[in-house]
Amino acid sequence: MEGKYEFEKKFRDQVLRCSSCGFCRAVCPVFGITKRPAFNARGKMLILKEVMDGNLDLNDELVETLFQCTTCAACSEQCPSGVQPPEIIKQVRKDMVHGGTCHPAFEGMNQVLQEHTNIYAEDEPEDFERERNKKAEYVFFIGCVGSYREDEATLATLDILDRLEVDYTLIDEVCCSGALEDVGFEINERLAKKNVELILGTGAKAVITGCPYCSRTFNGKPQYQALKDAGLKIIHISEFLKDFDFGVKTDKVVTYHDPCDLGRHCGIYNEPRETIGKIAPNFVELRHNRSNALCCGAGGGVRGAFAKNSIAMARRRLEEVEEVGAEIVLTECNSCVHNLSNAKLRAQKFKILTTTQFLQELLEEAE
Amino acid sequence: MDTAIKQSLKEIVGEENFTDSLIDLIAYSKDASEHQHRPDAAVWPVTTEQVVAIMKLANREKFPVVARGAGTSLAGLAVAERGGLILDLGRMDKIIDINIQDRLAIVQPGVIYADLDRALSPYGFFFPPDPASGSVSTLGGNVATNAGGIKGAKYGTTKDYVLALEAVLPDGRVLHTGSKCMKSVSGYDLTKLLVGSEGTLGVITEITFKVNPKLPMSSTAMATFDTLEDAGHAISEIMYSGIIPSALEVVDEQSLVAINENTDLGLPVVEAMLVAETDGHTKEETEFQMNKIIEIFKKNHAGMVKHADESVGGAAALWAARKSAYGVLARINNNLIVEDLAVPMSKVPEMLRSISDIAKKHDLKIPTVGHAGDGNLHPVVCFDGTNADEVKRVEEASIELFEKVIELEGTLTGEHGIGLAKAPYMVLEHDEISMDMMRSIKKLFDPNNILNPGKMGLEG
Repeated sequence: MEGKYEFEKKFRDQVLRCSSCGFCRAVCPVFGITKRPAFNARGKMLILKEVMDGNLDLNDELVETLFQCTTCAACSEQCPSGVQPPEIIKQVRKDMVHGGTCHPAFEGMNQVLQEHTNIYAEDEPEDFERERNKKAEYVFFIGCVGSYREDEATLATLDILDRLEVDYTLIDEVCCSGALEDVGFEINERLAKKNVELILGTGAKAVITGCPYCSRTFNGKPQYQALKDAGLKIIHISEFLKDFDFGVKTDKVVTYHDPCDLGRHCGIYNEPRETIGKIAPNFVELRHNRSNALCCGAGGGVRGAFAKNSIAMARRRLEEVEEVGAEIVLTECNSCVHNLSNAKLRAQKFKILTTTQFLQELLEEAE
Repeated sequence: MDTAIKQSLKEIVGEENFTDSLIDLIAYSKDASEHQHRPDAAVWPVTTEQVVAIMKLANREKFPVVARGAGTSLAGLAVAERGGLILDLGRMDKIIDINIQDRLAIVQPGVIYADLDRALSPYGFFFPPDPASGSVSTLGGNVATNAGGIKGAKYGTTKDYVLALEAVLPDGRVLHTGSKCMKSVSGYDLTKLLVGSEGTLGVITEITFKVNPKLPMSSTAMATFDTLEDAGHAISEIMYSGIIPSALEVVDEQSLVAINENTDLGLPVVEAMLVAETDGHTKEETEFQMNKIIEIFKKNHAGMVKHADESVGGAAALWAARKSAYGVLARINNNLIVEDLAVPMSKVPEMLRSISDIAKKHDLKIPTVGHAGDGNLHPVVCFDGTNADEVKRVEEASIELFEKVIELEGTLTGEHGIGLAKAPYMVLEHDEISMDMMRSIKKLFDPNNILNPGKMGLEG
């Protein structure tokens, strides 16, 4: 059956296949804090069924739910019918934008990337006191959050790469712009082209990314296919570090938050745990972990568009940290660090760091 | 629903706990069944007092009120078939007290089954009736539907654990039933009357449960049978052998085929597979029971018998077929109806045979799984709801299925309830006198028929 919208052509069968069992209620982070069924995947699929039946259009009334999804994919893991709601929702957002309906924050993001080189519209790039655009074996690609918001985490990573005497270079990177695909727009060709040119110019054999999302984008989007065609491997820093021994340990109770972009979206659960296992014998898992991990609330454009709920999701995640009595929460995504840190209450005494940040602290203490 | 009523509702629960937004009305229009109807508005009350005020308003203005938990009903219990108000109790989600000395847990209706189980775990206790939807289902919903689960044969269903209730009646009075005592024969058992009443008599606002100590050890075994009859004989013999397994599940041939087509489990294709679990305080105890069960399997010509070996994945590997069934069957076609019926245990093989015959006759796929240990079967009708001819065949097959159940002295539903799905068939099972009694009870509680109207065939 021909539909009015692109999502119907691509995902009609999937939307119909949702059996409304409601099992997504258990894991949907937006539902978890609002207890409002219109926000979980079942609610969204029911709304889309009505759109496919011609009962309603993708209009402004639907923005509140269809744009309020972190695309964390916890529902996909849980779904007995094999429906993948984030993929459907991303297409629906494109259809909505195409029809002139959008959340202003999402529109703003696209506009910023039309005019600037990063999502924060920062004009002064951080230089991290490292050389850029030189010939090297590896390119270290930082990402927007690591460049402009969590720069300490980035410095720690770079210090560790230096200690390991890795032959790497930074580049005059611009936003990978992959996130635009999640919020109703297309990857920005101009930005993608610039990144590809700069990376290829270094003659590197691999790109190490500090951001799991950038890694996903380089690995999965056609605009970055040239990297793969040139034989470059794209890996996240957690995959790179797992093969090293650092000779330091902590007796603190440490836990790990699986970022959706690294875990559910790339299947990388073990690598970070291998590194953490070596340095933290008192490791405890959070109640929801690995493919069942709770989202920090930042993804899918939700932090920008629905800030209050985004922070509430992060708070809920941090309650699980309290539950296991951890002193340190490690994660592998600067965006998660950023949102979780913003949500942390003063009474909560644990620290939230990237693995490299914590590793660097331990190495400095040992000196 | 007019603006004045909506305004009154907002005043009762507060703006933030009221909605008539389109997105909410659509999200509340359906549960896990095939039934669908939009309500006119929804509220999230947070106190019993708010529920009282809502019911008084509804009774005065005569609009329907449908109490709703997680909306996982497979029979349309949570669908507002005549519009009106959805009363979502999900925000009344406090565990009020866990009193291990008295073996009690007192909860608000919106507490999720899995959350209570987690709260009881540090005490070594659990709440046995575990519906498959336990990760999301609310305890208020479990009580209102008398939910069952996989452990029914040994541990019974929700009704066996509800000691006392607080419920708001349609006229706004607050009814207290039962007591905190393990035993009580003081007056009519109003508690049990409300359990399984599908939200037609009152809105449950507080529940006092009896909880059980959790036995720490378990053993698991699986057996295949070439014929349904052999499997059936094994089931009855186990259940009168003196051993009561904590679970005894059946997976039929069509399910095994479907699972093989969609997973790499590579299961043997036979007419029936049984999975049994025993529990106890020590391994010796659980193994003693399991060895008896395995003897019975073998005596009844089991093909393959596997006894869980913890070193190779153990119990989980043997449970894989049964536990993957729903996920696999849910992917076969666009629509599925998870049917629910129960027959006396000795009739399980005949019922399974009939399901298979009815499926063939109507050219349908009806794989069946079930809780063989208590005669409760779930034929899963997989079909394409956009194919009118197939939908018609599903309807015809359903009627034949229910007629067969009644012929075998079974019951229309073991644990999912009547709701909308089986309302037309109530008279097949219940004679005029019992229907009349049920209708009289409904009228006594709810003379204006405002609570979940249209359910359970009470209006005939």
